[in-house]
Amino acid sequence: MRIIIAGAGEVGFHLAKMMSSESQNIYIIDENEDRVNYVQAHLDVFCVLGDAKDLEVLKENKISSCDLLIAATSSEETNLLVCITGKKLGAKRTIARINNYEGIGTSMRVFYESLGVDNIISPVELASKEINRLITQSAFTNDYEFEGGKLSVFGIPICDKSPLKDKSVVETAYLNPNRSFKPLFLLRGEKTILIQASTVLKENDIVYFISTPESIPLITKICGQQFYDIKNIMILGASRIGVLTAEILEKDYNVILIEEDRNKATRIADQLKHTLVINADGTDVSVLEEENIAEMDAFIAVTGDSETNIISSLIAKSHGVKKTIAGVENIDYINLSHNIGIDTLINKKIIAANNIFTYLRKGVSAIANFHGVDGEIIEFNVRANTKILSKPLRELKLPETVGIAGVVRNNKGFIPFGGFQLEENDKVIVFSNKESISELENLFN
Amino acid sequence: MSRNLINIKVVFNVIGNLIIITGLLMASAVPFSLYYGEGDLYPLILSSLTTLFFGLIIKLRTQKHKNDEVKKREGYLIVAFGWLAMTIFGSLPYVFSNAIPDYTNAFFETISGLTTTGASILNDIESVPKGILFWRSMTQWIGGMGIIVLTIAILPLLGVGGMELFASEAPGPTKDKIHPRIKETAKRLWLIYFSLTAIQCVLLLFGGMDFYDAINHSLTTMSTGGFSTKQASIGHFDSAYIQYVIILFMFLAGTNFTLLYFGFKLNFKKFWINDEFKWYVAAIIVLCFVILPTVYFVYGRADGVEASFRAVLFQVTSIITTTGYSTSDFTLWGSFVTFLFFLLLFTGASAGSTSGGMKLVRIVLLMKNGFLEFKRRLHPNAVVPVHLNGVGVSQKIIYNLLAFVFFYLFLFVTGAIVVTFFGVDFTEALSAVATSISNVGPGIGSIGPSSSFSHLPDGVKWVLSFLMLVGRLELFTITILFTPYFWRLK
Repeated sequence: MRIIIAGAGEVGFHLAKMMSSESQNIYIIDENEDRVNYVQAHLDVFCVLGDAKDLEVLKENKISSCDLLIAATSSEETNLLVCITGKKLGAKRTIARINNYEGIGTSMRVFYESLGVDNIISPVELASKEINRLITQSAFTNDYEFEGGKLSVFGIPICDKSPLKDKSVVETAYLNPNRSFKPLFLLRGEKTILIQASTVLKENDIVYFISTPESIPLITKICGQQFYDIKNIMILGASRIGVLTAEILEKDYNVILIEEDRNKATRIADQLKHTLVINADGTDVSVLEEENIAEMDAFIAVTGDSETNIISSLIAKSHGVKKTIAGVENIDYINLSHNIGIDTLINKKIIAANNIFTYLRKGVSAIANFHGVDGEIIEFNVRANTKILSKPLRELKLPETVGIAGVVRNNKGFIPFGGFQLEENDKVIVFSNKESISELENLFN
Repeated sequence: MSRNLINIKVVFNVIGNLIIITGLLMASAVPFSLYYGEGDLYPLILSSLTTLFFGLIIKLRTQKHKNDEVKKREGYLIVAFGWLAMTIFGSLPYVFSNAIPDYTNAFFETISGLTTTGASILNDIESVPKGILFWRSMTQWIGGMGIIVLTIAILPLLGVGGMELFASEAPGPTKDKIHPRIKETAKRLWLIYFSLTAIQCVLLLFGGMDFYDAINHSLTTMSTGGFSTKQASIGHFDSAYIQYVIILFMFLAGTNFTLLYFGFKLNFKKFWINDEFKWYVAAIIVLCFVILPTVYFVYGRADGVEASFRAVLFQVTSIITTTGYSTSDFTLWGSFVTFLFFLLLFTGASAGSTSGGMKLVRIVLLMKNGFLEFKRRLHPNAVVPVHLNGVGVSQKIIYNLLAFVFFYLFLFVTGAIVVTFFGVDFTEALSAVATSISNVGPGIGSIGPSSSFSHLPDGVKWVLSFLMLVGRLELFTITILFTPYFWRLK
């Protein structure tokens, strides 16, 4: 595939990195010479120094034969313009990143689509939705729902009390009588390990399960985690993510939002009807205590400063808050999260890049990337006359690094084991490391 | 040295691959040796098998690490020791067949081949078995485009690491990509290289050369190497057609391969906006017309204008592209012409070609930068960037360039000091060092186009071998290993 990315910022870089690891032909355009040199030195992509708004630059890089144009500069006007011109010049599909989440309702999306912007991605909106999902599934570090919740994949840490601890998967199979869930892989430190029958689970491993919705409480129990209800949430920082998250969460929870800037706090207080807005310095422990931090069930730190977010989440954790989420700007911090005791670190740029990444897959309807996990969970549609239909799963000779996780058939989720035979129109959820993805795509296409 | 600073296993794994490829290419000489039956069959097969055996052992013992990340330091080590290993295994056919019994000489001949220098210690080339001579030409062809570029093209080396490697082997200050992916770029470069070699071979066959000579000379022309199968080099072939064909292909080999790629795609606009290409053409034309009168009126009247012109054009193209073929001995054309050729030893042709030397683009930038200094003196606050191909060149590149040129001259002077220390005559020492570091081939005096390097002391041969390798890999790749920064964390 020929992909043009305008903007070599963090989103552009992260996208190019994910895509280049699977041999796509990527052109990345940026005006800043230092950024271009940086990308050139770190990724196997074609770097162009120039303005993506410039018609000549686009034509020079054969926009007419481009399969996917992604405009991910920091300016949303530029992104929209690049997509519109790119589409007119022949790009097959265009995606624009915009920062402003307000006013991109369905009607605007349709309007922009008529102009040539096929998809609009708002990192802020995606991050807020992710936080919302994390709050509703409070015991999990990460989760992703497939086919509207028929099956979900989520990560959950193994606790001291768990019966799974120090046992292999085979030994604990009795805990799963209905075969309604399956452990897929685990994250131990920074290593991703694919789970086989003989794999022994250890304390603090984050194990990723696929499960039907009914079995989620069971899994939570056997991992030694408790399902707790979340009522009170504290959000630190009225950044755009903070405000949007509060707006989503205030419908179902008690939300307190702390913002240091008085004007901003006043404005937000007008805008959010059911949220208590506090004008104070959130890094001040006494302020947090005054607002009863110990009573909070979840703490979300999304100020513009990563270090503040991390430190204040640690303070919240030490006061007994069950669920902490910190927003970080620096992508390299992501892998640290569990080591330092914060439940989840989120980065809106990675979320945006992962979201854009789903557009790249052929015959794929959804894709989930978990932070720190070296691999992807992809949903494929099974089409007629493909190789995958010929045999039951255990005879398919899949690559070792690939696992069939779940199947959705006739709107019902199944967890397939060895003898399972796929049928046309099944939706198959597969876990795979990056190297085997092209092999997988061949099986399904 | 910290244990984590360098992942030596992945270095060995890649070098194992390089040795295996060398072994396979060595086997390509076997058909010639079978056909001509001059007693070099077993030595060749033995060398090839030995090389493959060691390559496989090194590769298999480190196979676990084949997907490890190749970072900057590993990249430099792979290139430096990869070339060294290739030279050692590449010298086996000479040693096993007794064509070059002395090891210093065998090493010198191999490295001179791989670095496309073309300086030879053979005093009677035509007596060497044909299979061995084919391997000698083959070493140049491998070294021309570079074995690492070849490896990237055919083996699944990982992206970024591959790029580091590519950058340390490909000649010239700018590493233009002609495809987003390094592997595809490398494939295209080798395809152009291979096709041009094949085309030249066919054209030479039309000129009445036999197949063996045609293929050998094509291999050493496109790599700007300059090894010939004849003692008298191209002078042996007294045919205007053959000489013009070789001039044309030396010229092409000295052109930036990225430009050739656009040429193949019939996009000639790129040629006319390329400053370096214009200077390359201009330099050849101007030099021809400066040298021609001297040669015609003083030395070559009997041959006629065309013959003199051809001799001058051939020699100028041969030296500027650092090929080093000769049709006549230019050192006999008087001191003015000899000195011009001496200067040409430094320049080289285009960046991104198979030629050696400093590369014209660096000379052009250096001169432009030098002249702009006058403007900067008169307008102290003016922003005066150096332009290349109509675009401003960043300060960083200029600094890098100045460091490169300084280092080139530094190595030249140091090399000359060491070589004269061994008692080599002054002009010979200077020209030997210049010709080695620029990968040209012939020098001046007793190492001129019509003689060999065999009479030089062994110590000098080792020094020159080192300089050839340093020059082929653009100075820094080898010398960086001798700096403390490389082995320390900071």
